[in-house]
Amino acid sequence: MIRKIMHRPQAVLGLAMMLLVFLVMLLAPVFAPNDPMQLNVAHSFAPPDAQYPLGTDELGRCILSRLIYGARASLSIALPTLLLLAVISTVVATLCAYVGGALDRMFEVVSNIFMAFPPFLVAITLVGLFESKAASIVLSIVIAMWVWNARVVRTHVLRERNQPYVITCRMSGCSELRIVFRHIIPNILPHLLVLYSTGLSSIIIMISSYAFLGLGLETGTAEWGAMFVNANKLIFSHPLFLVYPGLCILFAAAGFNLFGEALRDICAPREG
Amino acid sequence: MLKAEHITKQYQIPGGGHTVFDAVSDVSIELGNGGVTAIVGESGSGKSTLARVLSYVERPDGGRVFLDGLEVSACGRKELRAVRGKVQLVMQNALGSLDPHQSVVSILEEPLRLLFHMGAEKRKQRCLELLDMARLERDTLRRRPDELSGGQQKRLCIARALATQPQHIIFDESFSGLDVTLKKQVLGFLKELQTELQISFLVITHDLDTAMYMADAIHVMRRGKIIETLEHPKSFSDFQEPYSQELVKAVRSKRRALQ
Repeated sequence: MIRKIMHRPQAVLGLAMMLLVFLVMLLAPVFAPNDPMQLNVAHSFAPPDAQYPLGTDELGRCILSRLIYGARASLSIALPTLLLLAVISTVVATLCAYVGGALDRMFEVVSNIFMAFPPFLVAITLVGLFESKAASIVLSIVIAMWVWNARVVRTHVLRERNQPYVITCRMSGCSELRIVFRHIIPNILPHLLVLYSTGLSSIIIMISSYAFLGLGLETGTAEWGAMFVNANKLIFSHPLFLVYPGLCILFAAAGFNLFGEALRDICAPREG
Repeated sequence: MLKAEHITKQYQIPGGGHTVFDAVSDVSIELGNGGVTAIVGESGSGKSTLARVLSYVERPDGGRVFLDGLEVSACGRKELRAVRGKVQLVMQNALGSLDPHQSVVSILEEPLRLLFHMGAEKRKQRCLELLDMARLERDTLRRRPDELSGGQQKRLCIARALATQPQHIIFDESFSGLDVTLKKQVLGFLKELQTELQISFLVITHDLDTAMYMADAIHVMRRGKIIETLEHPKSFSDFQEPYSQELVKAVRSKRRALQ
């Protein structure tokens, strides 16, 4: 497996990008030249110089430092969200689609209900319910998005459960649970990897739109989405403010997508 | 001994509302231990459905299936799993009936672990035995099904079925789609295997030639019913029913075309 990854430039590039993002995330205090929260209104909109490599924003905060710390804030929410989302939608959709019948029809009804809920409504409710803003953001995104992923998973499982190999596995003595977790899920995993790795960027964007509504993390938190949204109003005077966080989101998302797609190609013998 | 009594299996006609048709209607069949039986019929005659019912992959809508006196058609999931290995179905689509992400060794080891709880050492040894039995090369162990040739895929399916130490193996059109030489090879090898292991075979085919070559008893099936049964047929002229005669004619014209 590792050898196969190393033989694919796409996978290596994606992996390198992901590792770089993680490295920046873990070692933010080492890389950042300044305190990302340090206000210096007298020094606002400063052009890049030795102390502030990318200049300062409208409140005189170091942009580079904010971007570096932003990796922490964005991904520390986006990754757990993605993980929770992936596990919940995969398990629920797979079980419902595999068992079929009444359970599958129930899933249809429930998923229609969830699809009707606007995510922001859920977010507003949850922010009111929970102390922790991060937890309510994670939960509201999971509640809002799991159905969309689950539906995709369901179609894959429906196709797979009618394959003749399922019968063969049963005759080899597999229990139904073993068929689901050891045979069906590994076979649709390549598709799921792409589904979830592309989901990361939309989660980052979603977190940022929460910030826009004031539902996100504390105002002023160094976070890519918030910086991106914040820069909207400066688009004509300082368009680069929009480009920096945008590039960061692009970089992280592209890394995950590249790696996810390369993994799909490696794991999918049938589509070759 | 695998015995089916008055089996009926219905399917809903797609788009036909609640109209059903009998894929198999009131079929009784008995498979002793050790012989080779064949069911011959054209496509749509219900022979595959019967195979699925006999291998308890599907439940019949009417009638009962017995395995050594145990009524498998009335068993729950748990009880069925205990006798899963006894009757094996080898399907037509060899590649499709193998999990594409598993390697040959894990396909063969799965039944050994799940049905016989063998340790790693024993499994490895048994795997090699199975490969030899199915005349597969030992270097195929690490490969995936789609990296094997068509003939190797068939052999792998047979090896997997043998891994469960079955009393009965049902071959559902397992040899159609193979070219003439390959088919001869596989059939010949199966016949040897059968004499060696004394497993009962049920060969389901549309080809009377294959049936005559393999089987001691031949059932002719049409529209969900068994219309003629011959024990130890000597030649094609033993068949009496007009429909069986049609099948004989089909074989003869194919032979002529080959010559």
